[in-house]
Amino acid sequence: MESRSNYWLVAPSALIFCALFIAPMAFFAVLSFWQVEYFELSTEPTLANYRDVFANYWRVMGFTVVVATATALLTTALGFVFSFLARFRAVEWAQALLFIVLITLFGGYLMKIYAWKTILGNEGVLNSALLALGVISSPITSLLYSPQAVVVTLMHFSLPFAVLPIYASMRGIADSEVEAARDLGAGRWPILSTVIVPRCQSGIVAAFSFVFLIVGGDYVTPLLVGGKLTMIGNLIAPQFGAQFNWPLGAAMSIVMLAAAVIVIYLFRLLVALWSRQ
Amino acid sequence: MSARTNILWAVVAVAFIVFLLSPIVLLVVFSFTSRTLTNFPIEGLTFRWWQEMVVTRQFWPSFANSLIIGSCVAVVSAAVGTLAAMGLAGMPKRRASIIMGALTLPVMLPPLVLGVSLLSFYVSLGLKLGLATVIPSHLLFAQPFVILIVHARMINFDHRVVESARDLGATPLQAFLTVTLPIIRPVVIGAALIAAALSIDDFIITFFTIGTGNTLPTLVWGMIRTGLTPSVNAIGTLILLLTIGSTVIALKLTRYRG
Repeated sequence: MESRSNYWLVAPSALIFCALFIAPMAFFAVLSFWQVEYFELSTEPTLANYRDVFANYWRVMGFTVVVATATALLTTALGFVFSFLARFRAVEWAQALLFIVLITLFGGYLMKIYAWKTILGNEGVLNSALLALGVISSPITSLLYSPQAVVVTLMHFSLPFAVLPIYASMRGIADSEVEAARDLGAGRWPILSTVIVPRCQSGIVAAFSFVFLIVGGDYVTPLLVGGKLTMIGNLIAPQFGAQFNWPLGAAMSIVMLAAAVIVIYLFRLLVALWSRQ
Repeated sequence: MSARTNILWAVVAVAFIVFLLSPIVLLVVFSFTSRTLTNFPIEGLTFRWWQEMVVTRQFWPSFANSLIIGSCVAVVSAAVGTLAAMGLAGMPKRRASIIMGALTLPVMLPPLVLGVSLLSFYVSLGLKLGLATVIPSHLLFAQPFVILIVHARMINFDHRVVESARDLGATPLQAFLTVTLPIIRPVVIGAALIAAALSIDDFIITFFTIGTGNTLPTLVWGMIRTGLTPSVNAIGTLILLLTIGSTVIALKLTRYRG
């Protein structure tokens, strides 16, 4: 095939990408330097929004980074165990396990969060089941509207995003590599830490990044299962609705993305250090 | 490996499956149970919530919107995504993976950021929010999945069959329609179904780019925010049926496994 025509084939997709991603994101970045005055956008460039974010919203931003880091670490670990199981421990079940991950990836974002609300409530599924079984005598009230509820819910719908990249890189490890390490006398943990983890570096970092970004920008989960908990998404969303302060919302989004880039970079360094030891 | 570690891993596997699926299964179950509270014990089964669902104000228009948006996104993203996947398959590997990485960026970004940036962009351009702004927005995050799935098939494609068609005098278009397309058709249909599932499932980007209308997820959102009624479980089950149903068919067709 002539190579020129290959670029023409990609053109429609590239056009959608440029018109609906590059252009809006560029506009969004510019927007963050504008201000709203009397319900009108003023295009005078200013750093006021960024100052506002660092002066008044650093607490929420910090909390979001903590929740996102914790969730991303836990979910990446779970994703690693799941992939390990499918790749090395239950090879005959790998297809079925992956099938479950894929069907939960493509469907039910809002429904999953809502389901956790009905599971964890005072009169919810878990409490009523434990009461009926006689395990507890009065409902556990601290399940819903807590940081734990937020983290569990976020882990649940982001787990498929962690499994897929890690499993993909584990599939690249040949059985012979693991066997060679074992023949050379390596035990279970050394094999895991010096053979498998280093070979999954890119998958692990991709998993962490996916989960961190999903969590960092989520506002539906804190609203439904977090009670009074506020993450940065809960402050960004209303700026584009009732609060009408697009520039502030844009600045918050950009600071959040910058924080994500820094955390992901640090995590990458950590994984690289581990792999080099 | 000892029997004990085998049992341990079996327990881990079951725990994962329960964790991943039980919320979804419970949602479906409670759309058929008789009590108003979604909890145990289950006293009886009923279709009441499904009957309530179909008479909910806004249900039919939302359902129609979801189907219209889902099918438009499926058709358009399958078309442009397949073209792009074919183009990428013919490029040097490194360049193809850079372009693919760029096109996948919208999926990496939090949907909230994508949603609000599209909202402010459309409004600043003076566009009226509605289905016409939702559909292109969905294309943005649906097309990378189509490209990935079809590309995975195209790199294993035997180009000699197309070359023989060309040698026998077929134009590039004829060769595509009579040789390439019939071979990759199941994968393209599967990719289109994944795009439809993603589109029907999307809440956040739709919420910000639809203006005043509703789709099934935004309708559910409104209902959750105003109070819990079990007919939310029925609509949720319907959404799951549409999205997971098309995903299952798609996975069968494409044999795609990540």
